[in-house]
Order: sequence, then C-alpha cells, then structure tokens
Amino acid sequence: MLDEQLEELRRATLAGFASAGSLEELEEERVQALGRKGTLAQISKEFGMMPAADRAALGKLLNAVKQDLETAYEDKKRRFAQSELEERLAKEWIDVTLPAAGIRPGSLHPVTQVQNEIEDLFTSLGFAILDGPEVETEEHNFDALNIPPSHPARDMQDTFWLSNGHLLRTHTSPVQVRGMRQLGPPLRMIAPGRVFRNEEVDASHEHTFYQLEGMMIDREVSVANLIYFMKTLLSSIFQREATIRLRPGYFPFVEPGFELDIQCLICGGVGCPVCKHSGWVELLPCGLVHPNVLRLSDIDPDQWSGFAFGLGLTRLAMMRYGIDDIRQLQGGDLRFLNQF
Amino acid sequence: MKFSYNWIAELVPGLSTSPSDLQRLITMKTAECEGIEPVGAHFKAVVAARVLTVGPLPKGKNQRVTIDAGIDRPITVVCGAPNVHSGMMAAWVPPGVWLNGKEIGKAIIEGVESEGMLASAAELGISRDQSGLLELKSVEPGAPLERLAPDWVIEIDNKSLTHRPDLWGHLGMAREVAAITGGALSDPVKLDALPSGDPPISLQIVKPVLCPRYSALVLENVRVGPSPLWLQARLESVGLNPINNVVDVTNYILAELPQPMHAFDADELVGGRILVRTAIPGERLAALNGESYDLDPADLVIADEASPIALAGVIGGSASAISEETTRIVLESANFLASSVRHTSARHKLRTDASIRFEKALDPENTVRGLARAIELLEQVCPGIRVVGGVADETFPRLLPDPIPLPVPLVVKKLGTPVSAERIRGILSALGFDVQITAPNVFSVTAPSWRATKDISLADDLVEEVGRMVGYGEITPAAPLVGATVPPANPMRAYLRQVRAQLAAQGFTETYNYSFVNQADLLRFGIDPELCLAVLNPVASEWTHMRASLLPGLFNNIVANVRNYNEFRLFEIGHEVHLAPRPSNEVSEPMHGVAALYSAQGDERDFFELKRVVECLFAGVRLVAAEAKIYEHPMRSAEIEWRGSKIGRLFEIHPKLLEQEGVPGRAVLFDIDLDKAQQLAADRGFHYRPPRKYPTSGFDLSVIAGMRLPVSRIQDELASLAGPDLALLDFVRQYAGPPLPEGSKSVSYHLEIGALDRTMTAEEVSVIRNRMIQGMRDAGYELRV
Repeated sequence: MLDEQLEELRRATLAGFASAGSLEELEEERVQALGRKGTLAQISKEFGMMPAADRAALGKLLNAVKQDLETAYEDKKRRFAQSELEERLAKEWIDVTLPAAGIRPGSLHPVTQVQNEIEDLFTSLGFAILDGPEVETEEHNFDALNIPPSHPARDMQDTFWLSNGHLLRTHTSPVQVRGMRQLGPPLRMIAPGRVFRNEEVDASHEHTFYQLEGMMIDREVSVANLIYFMKTLLSSIFQREATIRLRPGYFPFVEPGFELDIQCLICGGVGCPVCKHSGWVELLPCGLVHPNVLRLSDIDPDQWSGFAFGLGLTRLAMMRYGIDDIRQLQGGDLRFLNQF
Repeated sequence: MKFSYNWIAELVPGLSTSPSDLQRLITMKTAECEGIEPVGAHFKAVVAARVLTVGPLPKGKNQRVTIDAGIDRPITVVCGAPNVHSGMMAAWVPPGVWLNGKEIGKAIIEGVESEGMLASAAELGISRDQSGLLELKSVEPGAPLERLAPDWVIEIDNKSLTHRPDLWGHLGMAREVAAITGGALSDPVKLDALPSGDPPISLQIVKPVLCPRYSALVLENVRVGPSPLWLQARLESVGLNPINNVVDVTNYILAELPQPMHAFDADELVGGRILVRTAIPGERLAALNGESYDLDPADLVIADEASPIALAGVIGGSASAISEETTRIVLESANFLASSVRHTSARHKLRTDASIRFEKALDPENTVRGLARAIELLEQVCPGIRVVGGVADETFPRLLPDPIPLPVPLVVKKLGTPVSAERIRGILSALGFDVQITAPNVFSVTAPSWRATKDISLADDLVEEVGRMVGYGEITPAAPLVGATVPPANPMRAYLRQVRAQLAAQGFTETYNYSFVNQADLLRFGIDPELCLAVLNPVASEWTHMRASLLPGLFNNIVANVRNYNEFRLFEIGHEVHLAPRPSNEVSEPMHGVAALYSAQGDERDFFELKRVVECLFAGVRLVAAEAKIYEHPMRSAEIEWRGSKIGRLFEIHPKLLEQEGVPGRAVLFDIDLDKAQQLAADRGFHYRPPRKYPTSGFDLSVIAGMRLPVSRIQDELASLAGPDLALLDFVRQYAGPPLPEGSKSVSYHLEIGALDRTMTAEEVSVIRNRMIQGMRDAGYELRV
C-alpha cells in the first residue's frame, strides 16, 4: 500500500516539477510533496508505525523517492536561476568596438630608441656610458685626438666656433679623452651624444646629428678583436648575422684606421640602389687607438692598446626605420614623431 | 682625384688586372674609389679622314661634305663646323659608335644622308675646344688617331688621400698597384736628363722654413702651341684643362709625380734673380685666373727683383705668364711648407690643383725629378727646345727620417693574425720602404722620401702598411681576452631614461630641437643674450646663439603642430647652455626637461592635468605660486618644489605669445632642471612604514576662506593642528557660491585620526577634532561643522 503511494508521489511530483513554469510554482510543488506537512511527511509518519520487519524494504524506497525528488527540485531550481541570470546579462550588451576614452602613450624619439638599445647592448658587455659637454675646447676636440692646429683633418670637419673661443664638438671623440683621463686603463666605454658640423642642411645633411663613440683599452687589443667586436655588435643591432669588411680609412686618432662596411641589408650584397650597386654600405669609422692619443691622455702605448669606433646614431635610426629625410628628425612634426 | 687606368698601366708594365678589379683592390687596400668610368671608348673606331668636297645645303648652316676615310668609297657626312674645308684632315666617327652617351648613326639631315660625323676635339673628349673640327696633321686617311686609346678613369675620394701626398699623382697610385698586384713599378723619371753646369739665374730663399727647396731651369727656343692629342686627351681624362704644350707638360707632371710646376716667361722677369719671400704689405698680384689679390704679409710669394710674380704654391701671376710670343721660360719646381700654402689658399679662398697638393706636404726630392721629367716631355712636345745652363737648386738641409724599429711580433700582436717576417719585408719593400734586419725578428724600416713628410713616423704606421696589403679580410675575428667587470654606473642616464618613459606613458611625444636659437627667441623668453654663447659662424641667421633654455624650441614646436592637431603633448630633454656673467664666463650645460600640453579648447583644467603629470614624476611634489615671468600667464605660474628644493616651473604660457603666432587655445608647460631632480631622486633615504595595526576614526571638516587663499595653506594648518595622530588628510572638494558670500570658498577635507599603538577612544578623537576646530577659528577661518 505504502509502496504504491510512494511510487505515485514520485510520479506526480516529478510531473509537477517538470510542469512548474516559475520558481513559485516549483516551490508550491515542493511544499506539497516534501514540506513539513507534505505527502512524504505523512507517508513517513505511517511508515514509523509499521512493524520493524516490514520497514526494511520500504525504508529503502522511501529514501530513494525522497532523494529523487530533492534532486529533481534542485535541478529545476538551478535551471530557473540560470535562465534568470542569462536574461539579466542579456540586457547588459555593450558595443565593444566603441573607442575608449583617455590619454594614449606618446612616443620616444627614434634616435632615443636606437640609442637606448645600443646602450643596453654595451652595458651588457661591460662598457661604461660616459658623457661629455657639447661645448668643447679645441684641446679635447682636436689636439688630444692627434689633430694639431695645422692638420688638414681640421678642414674635413666644419666646426662651429663660439664667442668664448670654444667650439661645438664635431664628434663624440672628445669623450674618449675625458674617459681615458677620468677612468684610465683598462677601459671600456661608449659615449652617445649630439654633435655639430657647420653644413648646409638638406635631405641627407644636418648640422646637428648624433653619434655613439666607443673605446676599449686593455693590455693587448688587436685588429682581430676589433673585427670580432664590430661583428658581434652589428649582428645584434641588426638582429641577423652581419657580414662586414674593413678597408683603409684615414682618421688622425687611429692607426691603423678603417672604414667599416656592412654587406647591404637590403639586397644581401648583390647590389641595389641603397648600396649604389656595390653590395656594401659604409657604416662606421674605426681603428686601433693612435699611440699619440693614448700618450696625450697619460696612457703608456707600450703597455696598453685599444680600439675605437664612431657609430652614427642618426644614420642607424634612419636605416632602421627607412627615414629618407634627415631633417625630419629635428623638425618637431608630430605627424612624424608619433609614428615611433 | 681622377686616375687614368692607361697611365697607371704605363707605370706598371704588364698590368693585367682589369680596371674594375683594380678599383676594388684599391678600395680594399689603399683608398676609397668612388666610381669608375670608361672614357674614349670611341677611339678604337674613330679614324682620320680627308675632306674631299664641301657643298652648301639650303638652310645655310650645314654643309654636305664628302670624305676619304681610307675605305673603298667616299663617304658623305653633313657638317656644321665653320672650319670645314676641302683638303683638311679631320676625325671621322663612323656610324654605330657611341659618343658622349649617344649612338652616332646614319641620319638624314636636310635631305642628305649623313654617314657618321666629323667631330671636334671637345666631342672626342680630347680638350674643351668646340670651336670647330679637330684638324689632324701628318696622318693618312683611315689611320687611327695616334696614341689615343679607350681608357678607364677611376675616381678616388679626396678625403681618403688627405694623409698621402704621394697618391695625388699617378706614380704613387701605380706604386700601390704594383705592390697589390705583385707587378714592377717603372719610374718615368730619368735624373740623368738633368743638365750640369752653372744655372743662368740665381735663387734666393728668404724664408727657408716656408720653402725648403726651390729648383728651376731655364729653357730657350720655346715654341708655345697646342700639345699633341695624346697629351691633351690624357689631361682632359683626369679633369685637367689642356692649354698649351708648356703648361700641359707642367700639369702632366703635377698629375704624375705629383709635382706642381710653373713656367714663367723668362723675358718678363725683372733682373736675373728669383726671390722666395713673404709679401710686403700693400703688394698685389694680378693672377692667371684674371683676379687680383691683396697680399698678406704672411703669404709666401715668388718675386723677381721688382714685384711678386706668383703666390707660392697657389697660382702664378699674369704678367709673367707664358704666351704664344714666349721663347724663353723659367721652369719652377719647388717645395713649400704645407701649412703655409694651406693658410694662403684659405685666406684668398683660392684652391688650385697645385695648392691642394702642396698642402698635403709633398716630397722635396720631387723638385729636381720634376725638372728631369719636364725636359724629357718638353723635348717631345716642343721640338727644338733647349736647356740653358744647369739646374738652379736651392735646398735646405732636411731632417732625414729616422729608421723605425719594427719587431715582427708587434705586427702580429697588433693585427691579431700571423704574418711572416718574409711577407712583412716583401710588402714594405714593394711600397718603397728600406727594410734592414737589425736583430732576430726585428726590422729597421726607413720610410721613402714621399712617405716621410708626415705620413709615416711610428711602428704603428708600418703595421697599417702591412695590414692593408695583407688584407683585413684575411684576419680571423677573435674575442678579446679581458676581465669581466661591471661597468661604472651612469645614474643620470638611467634617470633620464625613466623620466622619458614616464612622460611617454603619460601621452607625451619626444621631440628633438636644435641647440641653436636666435635673439628674438631669447628675448621672448626673457633671456639676456649676453648670458648666452654666440655662434661665430652660424649656419643660418636664425641660429645665432646657443639655447639657454629649451622653451623657445618647444614653443616653436607648438606653433608648428597646431595646424594639424587640436590637442597634443610634447616634451624634450636636453642641455641648456649658459655663459656665466663676467668675470667667470664659465660655461655650464644643465640638463633640462620641458613639456607642453596644448589644447585648442583649453581651460584651467589643463594646468592641473600637467600638475598631475608632475606629481607622477615627482612623488610628493608641491607647487608654490610664483611671480610670473614675462612669457608666463601672470595668474597661472608656479614653482615646482620637491624634497625642499625648487626644481622648475609649471605655467600656462602667456596667451599673448600664442596670439602673436595666431595660435588659438592654451598651452601649459613645465621646465625642470633634471640635474637637480636627479640628485634629489638619488638622495632619498627611503624606509618603509608598517601598515597601521589599529583602526582610525574619521570625520569631515569644511573650512571657509578667501577665494585666493591657497588651499595648501589651509591644508598645512589643518595638518599641524591635527598633530602626530593624523593618519589621513584628504581633500574632498572646493565649493564657491550661494549661500557663501561672494569672494569666499569652502574647502572640505576628510580626516582619519588614530594612534599607532592602540585604538583611540571616541573621546580622544573628539578632543583632537575640537582642538582643530578651535585652532582654525582662532586663525580666523570660519568652519562649517
């Protein structure tokens, strides 16, 4: 008897849960079946009064029905909560393509970016970053670099002269002198900075541009070391294996002196307009530090030797970004600057 | 400097390296080649032709000409040259030949088919004479033009020859080529051509320092006329203008040895003596180029007994110049001090083929060598010429170059590659060095005269000679063996990088401006031009002074960008350049950072936006109202105070400045001394404070004050009244308007009070609150509680 009632309760209640159209209707069904005074409670009461021997089998059924109904109730309730949440969220649609408000980052000057990169590279190789003034003495800019007053090399550089008898440095090389005098050997240093030449400005010439001087002095520094170093440096800058060549170049502060060419990165050396069909692009002057330069900064050339090089930061930035007009770098035009 | 391949090949007999290979080898081992160009390729096709008939054509200018070009039939050409006449020998360019970039074909001109053309000397690249057809002499129809052959011209970058006087002539380059290719050098100079005997003129060098050697030769029976075509063509190919046989010979030697020479008309010289002296004040020289020069007492001149006849090493005078009437010449072959020629040349803004060479410090041995070469060449191009007497040669003892000890291991060590002693000796010998062995593995090397004037003096110079001839490509790259060390820090650079990154993150774009400004810029920004360094040779009239402020540059950037943008943010970091007042006149270059926030619809919120940025850069910064500078908005300017020091200014730019430039809107700027800021940033001894363990109690206070009373003052007073238990003092808002009276404002704060070691009781907090209210009232403020 009771077992039939239980089966009927299960069937009817499950049907009721299934047809409940709202949380309220579901709750009603639940109270009716599972509430304190619901059908199941009544059946339990009757069950309690049965003799113990009959209770075993029926008890199992009673528990099973109770559990089934509770599970079904929870399921249905969860489904109601779920759809309610879905409904609410559905109303919270936004257009994700609307532009965001607020300030965007500005940008660093292309030369700053290239300079930062090269500074990091050299710092990782144990080089100090040194600074020197833009207003220099003749002594630092010329004499101490083995360029005496009558030297024709002074013709090669069109110097800006200032009202106090000083000049605007024509290269970052005077920082070599300052580095040698300040730190002494052994020495590994670079000096990035602004330099000046009295030149008419056009798409490829500027009176103000940026160089990065480098110098290494140690007990035995050879041309082979210089080549190794330049190759490492340039491969890192251009992020690919750089093929370089040295050929004779004349600079009074190095002996021997070189022009370093890099195999054209545009055509890979077969020849193109960028390399004037030679396969090579002239990149930087370098050499072993002239003994006179060492001596003029109180370093004994019999004990120490070194190499030095001068990297054109402006040129490098132009190569990196394909800038074809040098004037843009100091033109202050945001349409240019904002691209970097 | 242009080099003729054929000329080099004459000096290196048997040269088999092609012109293009040669230019590559020269680039890699000697000096930079800028290009290589064929010249005179047409000479293999051009032949002599006799003009048979000349007949008019209807339009009058051109004529119909038939010629015998040595082939089986007469040829017809159309010719417009004024000097064409029957019987003359001319140069015929057959069809199919390329001349000056154009293919000469068969053309129909005025109804006549012209088969090729007759050419002028200019068209053939022999000289610059384009007045008419080149007239050939003693030659048969069909014969090629004598000693004219296709050639290649290799152009070398002059800058890469600065230190090599010897490479300003073909002989020097030929010596390099011989050393590179393993060929033999043939010296064109035969010193035994020099006559012996007493010279017919006397020399006096008054200033031997400026003229270490002067050699001269007198020649007679001179007939001045055009040079043979081969000589003209050769000079023309290397960029020298053929003039006449005598001048052409001097120019040939200039381009060969190199030894600049000059020919004076001997009959135009006053007295039998040549003086080498400095100019006397007031002297002038009418020069060969038609100009007249006021001489400086520092100028070295060549003079006869009356007046200067040449500016030494630079240019000759017109009075003593040779002409067609000249029959006797004095040939000068001298050596002048490089710096003296350089200064004279610069002083008179006159650079000549001679001065360019002299200023490189030429070999004094070449004076007499030049004369010997001249005798030989003049005998070829000026038949009948005779030397009179012997060579006048005034020379002063020169320091002979010291032998340089060259240990083989030094070469190996410097180059970082093994090079045998044998190879070193071979290379140096080929380049003309004297190489002796003084000890095992040590050479004693003496530079040849043409390398000793300034180029070679150290073992390192010899290392370069060996290195470049071995070829730097032969050296295997090797990592230097040096200790691993941490480089000394550069805190300023690190700081600047951080400032740049922060500004960029806040929307500012970095700009670079020139270090130059002009007087108007300076005055606009209230800077005394006297305290700025002036540029003595500015590149343009707008760049006359060094910038003592970065503001003018940034201001100009604002003006320039307004046409493209309604609002933008810019910054620049760079050196100011200051000149301290007399007497110190010291120069300083403080590092500054300037930034601008521009908006076409700007209002005072921009000021606070830039203030926010400054607060991000410098935590705990304060602005202190300051008296405005002339370029600042008089009511919107402040000093920036950080960690007790003034580090810069924040201001709206004076609206008048923008108006003057037609710029709408407003711009707020800051200008900060980054040297100072960096020091303050580095100095901070920062220690952390533990978070409070006990709760605090909060309450609000509103203070009513005069409109223009700085909020910072109220805040300071509240803080000082609150005492040590103040945990937080937060600005909430400022309000002005009803019911407050006109001219006053209410400033509201939220405060939190608490002790570090316990929870404060409500009574304790209340005591503090009351103390504050009373204190503020005592100080004259009204409080809304």
